[in-house]
Amino acid sequence: MSEKFGVKVEEIFDTMPERFRPEGAEGVDASFGYDITGRGKWKLTVKDKAMSIEKTEDLAGCVVVTRAAPDTFVGVSIGKVDGTEAFTSGKIAVEGDIGALGLTFKLFKRFTPPQKELTVREYILDMFGTLESRFQPQAAGDSRIVICYDIGGKDGGQWTAVIENGTCKLAEGLDPSPSLTLAMKAKDWVDLMLGRVDALTLLSTARAKLEGDMALAMRLGELFAKYAPPGQEVVEDEELLVLKKVISVQQRFATGPVMGKYLNGLKEKKIFGNRCPECKRLQIPPREVCAVCRIRVEAFEEVGPKGNIRLLDTAYYASPDPLTGETRETPYAMAYILLDGCKGQEVFAHFIRDDQIDRIDMGWNEKKGTIVRPVWAEERKGKVTDIRYYEIDE
Amino acid sequence: MGTRKKNRNVGVIGVGQTKHSSHREDVNQPEMLHEAVREALDDAGLAMDDVDCIVHGNMELFEMVHQPDLWHALGSGAPGKSAFRLTTGGTTGATLFCAADSLVASGMYDVVLAVGFEKLQEGHTTGGITNMADPLWFRSLQTGALTGTCAYDVIQEFGEERAQKAAMIYRIIMDQHACLNPKAHRAFGLEFDQMDHLIQSSARLIGELKIIDMCSQSDGACAVILASEERAKRAKQKPVWVRDHITVHREETFNILGYDEATAEEKTHKVAARELFKRNGITNPLEYFDVFEMYDPSSWWGLDWLREFFLLEGDEHLRLVENHEIGLNGKIPINPSGGVIASNPIGATALVRPAEAALQVRGNAGPHQIPRPVNHALASGFGGTMWTVLIMLEKELDWQEV
Repeated sequence: MSEKFGVKVEEIFDTMPERFRPEGAEGVDASFGYDITGRGKWKLTVKDKAMSIEKTEDLAGCVVVTRAAPDTFVGVSIGKVDGTEAFTSGKIAVEGDIGALGLTFKLFKRFTPPQKELTVREYILDMFGTLESRFQPQAAGDSRIVICYDIGGKDGGQWTAVIENGTCKLAEGLDPSPSLTLAMKAKDWVDLMLGRVDALTLLSTARAKLEGDMALAMRLGELFAKYAPPGQEVVEDEELLVLKKVISVQQRFATGPVMGKYLNGLKEKKIFGNRCPECKRLQIPPREVCAVCRIRVEAFEEVGPKGNIRLLDTAYYASPDPLTGETRETPYAMAYILLDGCKGQEVFAHFIRDDQIDRIDMGWNEKKGTIVRPVWAEERKGKVTDIRYYEIDE
Repeated sequence: MGTRKKNRNVGVIGVGQTKHSSHREDVNQPEMLHEAVREALDDAGLAMDDVDCIVHGNMELFEMVHQPDLWHALGSGAPGKSAFRLTTGGTTGATLFCAADSLVASGMYDVVLAVGFEKLQEGHTTGGITNMADPLWFRSLQTGALTGTCAYDVIQEFGEERAQKAAMIYRIIMDQHACLNPKAHRAFGLEFDQMDHLIQSSARLIGELKIIDMCSQSDGACAVILASEERAKRAKQKPVWVRDHITVHREETFNILGYDEATAEEKTHKVAARELFKRNGITNPLEYFDVFEMYDPSSWWGLDWLREFFLLEGDEHLRLVENHEIGLNGKIPINPSGGVIASNPIGATALVRPAEAALQVRGNAGPHQIPRPVNHALASGFGGTMWTVLIMLEKELDWQEV
């Protein structure tokens, strides 16, 4: 399509008979000329609440002739360009009785471009065909990013976008070592790009798959400008005023003597629990009282530091660490460990060495889980991080 | 555990909710809150002046507003009235309901409005939840609201295939309910023939907990108006009576995951259910109740907790799900609203449970109304670390005191 707005000049004139409003033609008896640069001339004749339009070289007899470039004419006709502004700025030139031009404003219903729905294949080709031009270099940063698009189904295809040095190059096929791979069916990709479905729905219902750098996935909307179908402009949602705030608070928590003894023990590579004199259960970390027996607990016992794994909870979801704001590397795992000297539910929680997650067995009743040992930090400050993580005791 | 002592009967006379959704950037907090308050007032046929007291709540610091009830006063209608603010984590909404009931039952106030809300888009959910944990130790370790332990337990007990299928049936039935509920946030239109694909392909969040299993993050509000028997009987709609409620807390510890049956602790859900049913003379809760609006943060928890709440044995709870007995036409419809997996504006979520249960008893819940009479309803709240609120509602004031 040659015009900016995806509508041909001819379409505006050709649809005049069907857009004609006889009630707006009351008392109009005149001919109006249109001279569209490079496209030709048209003559509109209105009489007795009826009209005719013809393409002609001869605009003689017209009360007024309007001259404009195709984009301007189409833009004004479909309401995308302000007519008064175009006239004021000289983009529309009027020759003859300017007052008579006003009569034409009520003659027609506004032209609405026919909604030509592309096929899924046409959309896919257009979406990837425009990907490079929609790239936003300022959002890319310095690192090299490789995004694979694995678009399934007969309308799909495979592409790889390589972003580096402020440019984006798209090639067919899948790169073997991408930063991020997006996989879904062609129809779902089209719906996602057109805003007919949201990404979370596709992910939740397993219609889309993301592999690789999740933080990058979250930023895709910034890396590429929003897709608009051919001939349409991106329709931005009406901007709502939202105030953005970041709160950062320094916090200091008193530990108290019981927790203080426990945290101090970590500095010496010792793990202390305390045992309820009534129900005999061991509490780790130790607490001032037994909540069940409502009784003060004072007898400390050193336990561990080795133990066996009862439960491993492996996180695949890249949630930010709320304490640092950093996105955690995934997968990572937290384990509930029964330290030596503990029994039943007297478990202790800590992280497991990332590269050993797949090798952990979990215990159940009498059966022991994988035996693990703590890896202590060089410099210990009486904090949970004095133990870096637990690893397999081998 | 203490027994119920009510000075007078209390009825639910008005219910209001926003449409729950992922973003409500078109309104600010008091405006969103007011949508639910206005609907509840209209539902009850009351004006703001008719309300004696406001009970307001949400998750503490999720939106980092210290005293939201102050900012929200115009939306809640609190100026010039008695007002309380409560926040008890995930159970907040249920606590609001119980507090409003207690305030009316005591004789302090005749008409009390409970309102809970959350605008999760304005804060940070995982950050908020992590900040609940003991800052001296556990805060650095915990994984937010996500844990795969429940899925692991069910799989250990019933085997991979049966457990995965049962959890997915539960999930799909909840989605079917959500599709009927115009207020629900997420309604995907899941079908049973997608089961295997969803089990295989839905991205895992943590352990076997998949993204499809987990509850939403929603913006929304819920308001419920409770009134004394005398006032309730003059209300626009037939009141739904609050028979009893129970709250069971436990200490903030995680020493429950030793996987040793001999020393396993009873879950608070079971303790709450047993005590509540005992003191109300209910011997077979599955037969007695016509609907249960459960706080089900994921399909695994929803599945597993049926056994705790109905005091079931063995695999009875799995069979209820496998035989689709938890659907609107089943033996015990669970969450006709679609539940928490569909809509989760957290501070409102546990209030939506008794609100939706009350609508079911009244019989005008809307497209998700259970097609047969609902006389006895159960509603639950769940919060961290592992505690429970359980509420009983009745259609008639005809129960026998035990």
